[in-house]
Amino acid sequence: MKEQFSRQCFLGADSEQLFASLRAGIVGLGGGGSHIAQQLAHLGVGHFALFDPDVMEMPNLNRTVGATHQDAVAGLPKVRIAERLITGVNPSAVVWPIQKPWQQDFLALRACDVVFGCLDGFTLRAQLEESCRRALIPLIDIGMDVHEASPYSIAGQMVSSMPGGPCFRCVQLFKEADLNEEAARYGAAGENPQVIWPNGILASTAIGFFVQLFTPWCDADNANAFIGYDGNRLGLEHDVRLAHAPRCGHFKGIADLGDPFWQAEL
Amino acid sequence: MNIHFKIPTALLDEVLADLKRPHPFAAERLGFLAGKCCSSREGLLLIAHSYLVTPDDWYIDDNAYGCVFGPQAIRAAMQVCLDKKACMFHVHLHDHEGIPTFSRADLRESANFIPDFFNVRPEIPHGAVVLSSDKAVGLCWYPSREKPMRINKFSGVGFPMRHVGRL
Amino acid sequence: MASVQHIAELNQVCGGEATEYHEFGLHYILLPALRLPQGCTPGIVDALLSLSPRENYPTRLFFAQQVQSKNPLNWNSQSVPILQRTWFAYSWNYVTNDSRPLEVLANHMKALQ
Repeated sequence: MKEQFSRQCFLGADSEQLFASLRAGIVGLGGGGSHIAQQLAHLGVGHFALFDPDVMEMPNLNRTVGATHQDAVAGLPKVRIAERLITGVNPSAVVWPIQKPWQQDFLALRACDVVFGCLDGFTLRAQLEESCRRALIPLIDIGMDVHEASPYSIAGQMVSSMPGGPCFRCVQLFKEADLNEEAARYGAAGENPQVIWPNGILASTAIGFFVQLFTPWCDADNANAFIGYDGNRLGLEHDVRLAHAPRCGHFKGIADLGDPFWQAEL
Repeated sequence: MNIHFKIPTALLDEVLADLKRPHPFAAERLGFLAGKCCSSREGLLLIAHSYLVTPDDWYIDDNAYGCVFGPQAIRAAMQVCLDKKACMFHVHLHDHEGIPTFSRADLRESANFIPDFFNVRPEIPHGAVVLSSDKAVGLCWYPSREKPMRINKFSGVGFPMRHVGRL
Repeated sequence: MASVQHIAELNQVCGGEATEYHEFGLHYILLPALRLPQGCTPGIVDALLSLSPRENYPTRLFFAQQVQSKNPLNWNSQSVPILQRTWFAYSWNYVTNDSRPLEVLANHMKALQ
């Protein structure tokens, strides 16, 4: 075991080799995704597919881990900032910095062993979940919001979408009405307040789930996870919606797997 | 081409439980996995969806081989292949730990009947998988290619992930 | 499910076989090489007719790429992943699914004329 991983040997004798062999997809390299990238790099994950069409701007600097003031001035692509962050910790990491929406590179997404969703909006989450289910990829999603409420409240969640398990609709992360309402606004998220620390907490929780998913270090039964974060009371709690989630009927048919238009390379 | 075979762990457990059941005369049981495929930047993904059990009376009592299936088994698999446009993978178990291997008989018989699935669905891959209690090997017959290709990686997808890694 | 007759009608306006698909409970018909009205660029494009309600539309017509038409349209759906391809759609609402698929298609195509 390399010295840099000696303190995490309790994760299993093969954990270093395992992490090194995994490809993690991170969709969205903003406030949440940048934390994810940093922690995965430190864990020793060896391969990354980073999806984000955006460039760094000054208003992002309050929460994008790894970004510098100069990056914001220069407008560096967020995927390049994350790439630099990852390879600075793990020079042997193989990084695919994909500066476009993930929907424009299904081939790269499908090559991932796990995908972290760090997107704004329910529609994009729904779309990402559908593609991950088609390729039988575990999806770990994080999100947070700052709401105006006497005067403000911070809330967020980490939700897993495991093949065979309850999906985002089953656990009511969103409903059809939410998707319709978002479509009516043409998906515009607006410039919501965003801060660094809830992203860090949710990203760390997501990484904790990821490590349990891939290594046998503990026998906690977290087969599906819906962890809510209350940023005002500073607490994480298992959301009751998971316990009441029905058996998933949204993703079940064989036709919902793979690529319906797949053609052999001749 | 890298070929990655993925199967939900719940389905894998179902398959192992079936294949471990004793049979009145066959030394080994067999079944078929039906699934779909897609391409990735790494190569080909094969995704298992469901398992066809071979009923006891579909086996043939043959002293020469440990496990021989009758025409009903292949007909049932062909029907699923056609109806669901499914990639079909013959599967059986070598009940030990560690990486299993295709026996010479396995290779010979697979080469005989797996390509028959191309008569039904020539446009998608089919193949054969040998499971052990904790590992797997597999061969994939790719459309328009005569010889099968080795499946490089198997993943049991669930909590926790199983059989992850390259063989 | 569309009938054989309905599919045959759609084949008349496509360059290939119209094919039904279902994804996550929604019903689509692929229209390969759909011929578009005069004045459109490109004149032929793959299209996907959604016959299930989604995003506040009772039915929707998606295209493999944005199309230039005589009158400018509001292409408010971009790179929508359906059936593992990405699709584009303009805003054209209230085309219900209570007529033949060919009529549904024609009602959507009015926006391009």
